[in-house]
Amino acid sequence: MEVNWTRKDLLSLYDLDPEEIVLILDTAEEFKKVSERNLKKVPALRGKTVVNFFVEPSTRTRVSFELAEQRLSADIINMTASSSSLQKGETLLDTARNIEALQADLIVMRHSCAGAQNFIAKNISSGVINAGDGAHGHPTQALLDLFTIRQKKGRIAGLNVSIVGDILHSRVARSDIWGLIKLGANVTIAGPSTLVPRDFEQIGVRVCHNLKDAMEGADVINLLRIQHERQRAGFFPSTNEYARFFGLNKENARYLNPDAMIMHPGPINRDVELDSALADGPQSVILEQVTNGLAVRMAVLFLVSGCLKK
Amino acid sequence: MTEKNSYILKGGRVVDPARGIDTVMDIGVSNGKIVDPAKIKNPEVIKVKKLVVAPGFTDMHVHLRQPGNTTAETIATGTMAAAAGGFAGIVAMPNTSPPADSAGTIEYIRRHTELYAVVRVYPTGCMTKELKGEEMAGIGSLKNAGVVAVSDDGKCIQNHELMRHVVEYSKSFGLPILDHCEDAFLKGEGVMHEGKWSTLLGMRGISSASEELMIARDIILSRMIGWKIHIQHVSAKESVELIRNARKRGIMISAEATPHHISLTDDYIKKFDTNYKMNPPLRSEQDRLAVIEGLRDGTITVIATDHAPHTATDKLVEFDYAPFGIIGLETAIPVCLTELYHEKILSLSDFVSKFTVGPAAILGMDFGTLEEGKPADITIIDTEKKFCVDASKFRSKSRNTPFNGMEFRGKAAATIVAGRFVFDEIGK
Amino acid sequence: MSSKRRLCNSRKMDDAIEGVADAIIAEFSRKNEMDFAFIGIQQRGVPFARRLIEKITRKTGFKPQFAMLDTSMYRDDIGMRATLPVIRETDIPFDMNDQAVILTDDVLSSGRTIRAALDAITCYGRPSLIRLAVVVDRGNREFPIRADYAGMKIIPEDGKKILVEFKETDGSDGIYEIDWSNPTKGE
Repeated sequence: MEVNWTRKDLLSLYDLDPEEIVLILDTAEEFKKVSERNLKKVPALRGKTVVNFFVEPSTRTRVSFELAEQRLSADIINMTASSSSLQKGETLLDTARNIEALQADLIVMRHSCAGAQNFIAKNISSGVINAGDGAHGHPTQALLDLFTIRQKKGRIAGLNVSIVGDILHSRVARSDIWGLIKLGANVTIAGPSTLVPRDFEQIGVRVCHNLKDAMEGADVINLLRIQHERQRAGFFPSTNEYARFFGLNKENARYLNPDAMIMHPGPINRDVELDSALADGPQSVILEQVTNGLAVRMAVLFLVSGCLKK
Repeated sequence: MTEKNSYILKGGRVVDPARGIDTVMDIGVSNGKIVDPAKIKNPEVIKVKKLVVAPGFTDMHVHLRQPGNTTAETIATGTMAAAAGGFAGIVAMPNTSPPADSAGTIEYIRRHTELYAVVRVYPTGCMTKELKGEEMAGIGSLKNAGVVAVSDDGKCIQNHELMRHVVEYSKSFGLPILDHCEDAFLKGEGVMHEGKWSTLLGMRGISSASEELMIARDIILSRMIGWKIHIQHVSAKESVELIRNARKRGIMISAEATPHHISLTDDYIKKFDTNYKMNPPLRSEQDRLAVIEGLRDGTITVIATDHAPHTATDKLVEFDYAPFGIIGLETAIPVCLTELYHEKILSLSDFVSKFTVGPAAILGMDFGTLEEGKPADITIIDTEKKFCVDASKFRSKSRNTPFNGMEFRGKAAATIVAGRFVFDEIGK
Repeated sequence: MSSKRRLCNSRKMDDAIEGVADAIIAEFSRKNEMDFAFIGIQQRGVPFARRLIEKITRKTGFKPQFAMLDTSMYRDDIGMRATLPVIRETDIPFDMNDQAVILTDDVLSSGRTIRAALDAITCYGRPSLIRLAVVVDRGNREFPIRADYAGMKIIPEDGKKILVEFKETDGSDGIYEIDWSNPTKGE
């Protein structure tokens, strides 16, 4: 059964049907080939204007989106919170309406508040792609994770995927969980109980509070970056103690299946959540995630741009 | 508005819980007071057949925003909204700008009320200066200026020793305490109920514990001091249980529930509509049912709206940045009739009592009955009228309602204050 | 009401493809350069190319190489169409530089798909020569692009378009005239 893409926005994976997620991944397969050619550019978004509106700073995601847009031949404008009028007290909606009034076709947006993109998408006609909103969602990161898993394992349904770390504050974890569940994976989340809410059990996620349980039988282990500011807020006593109980290292790696994939959304705290040698080892797909991110973002930009009202 | 001096409300179903009356009878009004209909000469007859005639409703929890934020609401628009919602009186919270922590501000409110209010306004004063929770406000002077209670609503005194002194001092002036119970640390930067939906949406939660903890504190202080503490807008299941047990033991604790906490839950937040953001937050279905049970079994004796107007500009922002609060005066009766009366949780008499004798008992005032000789404050209700909420038609200056577009059964048909119709939709 | 009128049965369609194969063989053997590859345009240019390869191999013993190409990323009408085209697989397993290639598609109509295909091909390399083969040339050109080999020429009625079906993609062979508004099939 063929599905058509009908959305002007990509806000969260929670909104998508499994078929829509698969369509994005299939489309990304073709865009991945574009990046493997000598001439790495297609004219699909020629004449379209894309505004990268990053109210919360980002380097990796913004660069990945920007390159994806360039490879699709879009015209690109980069705006940050400091380069916009938000600093002068303009509301977010007014700023977005100004971008819309310049006939921007698409807004790729990052914001520190959950739902900020939903709020903007509802109020303007330009397409909105969520490049991360607070701890709510980061759909293109989850899509690139799904793409990488499918590429390596040939499937997603039935796989055991463990996500370890600060689930509570992680938009990547939330989007991954929705994407994985929708495509039929068994999801485990693990970390200290202050950072891994039990409420996820209500949507069929296995919750555990020790690393060994999350490692045994896992086909994929995804380690999240631990933020130092959480220590100050009293969620765990020290990065040392965190690394000791929840960091993946050479010693506890023996609990992993030999063919288990090691993933990380970056940037890595080497030797905190992930041992340096493992990050660079044969099980690690961390750099492939970055490469695939480009293809997935090209696919999303292409699909969403095809649904904008004239 | 109808200008009538002497009239008879004829053929209505009179529900007056203070006197245990629920029967079809006529009510006479003359010179602003309730009188025996037989004693009125040449009365005008107003037919109210099939309508409910109740004592004037009082909303114990309203933010009028004046002085300070008159772009969101004024004494004039807020009381017009109250009248349209069936309220003959409202208790005004003191967190205005400046806060009502001195006799001067109360005097300002009193003067503007005389000039602009269409329903009765009962002012309250702050418990602490500037609502800071640090130094006690001049509670005695506030009493002399006319406040009916003291409250730091919107904030909660975190220092238990200070709270103890405030309760003790207020007792000596006979002023009840209206407390917004919230532990500031547990609330943190929370924006919604801490539970399944805050977890799934990745939003900072406000745990039920932050409310329960301060209610427990208030129960202990109330027992120790022997004075009235009224718990505002109870939202959590275990809070209801704490209050139920305290009341069983004879502690002077009372509580109110809001229309939104009995009709909405936290899953509405997934749309990121800031009109669902208020404090205390919409909680889980279990909490909602527990609050309803509290109303049913008499643990919660008051329904109050926590009418909190905010301009569209203030609300049209990121969810995290939006102010807490929604308006409720013009939707309270429809929402509560639908959820409580038509759902057969409360009898009509019990329903009416939550807006009449309930508040009167806590405030120690004698409104809330249709006894002859009392001021003619009357709320007339059509319990069957279909009401589709259209915020654009509100009298309130603000539009921040979560109920826009929803349909309810039942509505105020008229509001009478001191014999004068301040809202009249009878026959319309 | 959408109508679907058959213009050719499978035998007549096979004759047309046979004719295209013969014309290709004739041209390239005349030049004494029996070295060319096929690029089938997704979706129905793909089975067409495979048929041609099968016929040419049988007739001459030379087996041309095969590639498939999706043109969606190169179209000039993204966002102007009611639905977005699904991107199908592109697979070009040989070096296109200095290679003679024959593009295949089912129907040549406006020429826009072919223009997109030419753009796409230049992204992969610099062929020595590009020819175009189609099953049906239906006229109605909007671009200065014409077919080098056409199985047949059919001018449909106003408001109608030509649909070529292949066993591989549609279950059976046949050429039809359908309403232009029919959203499910064709270009």
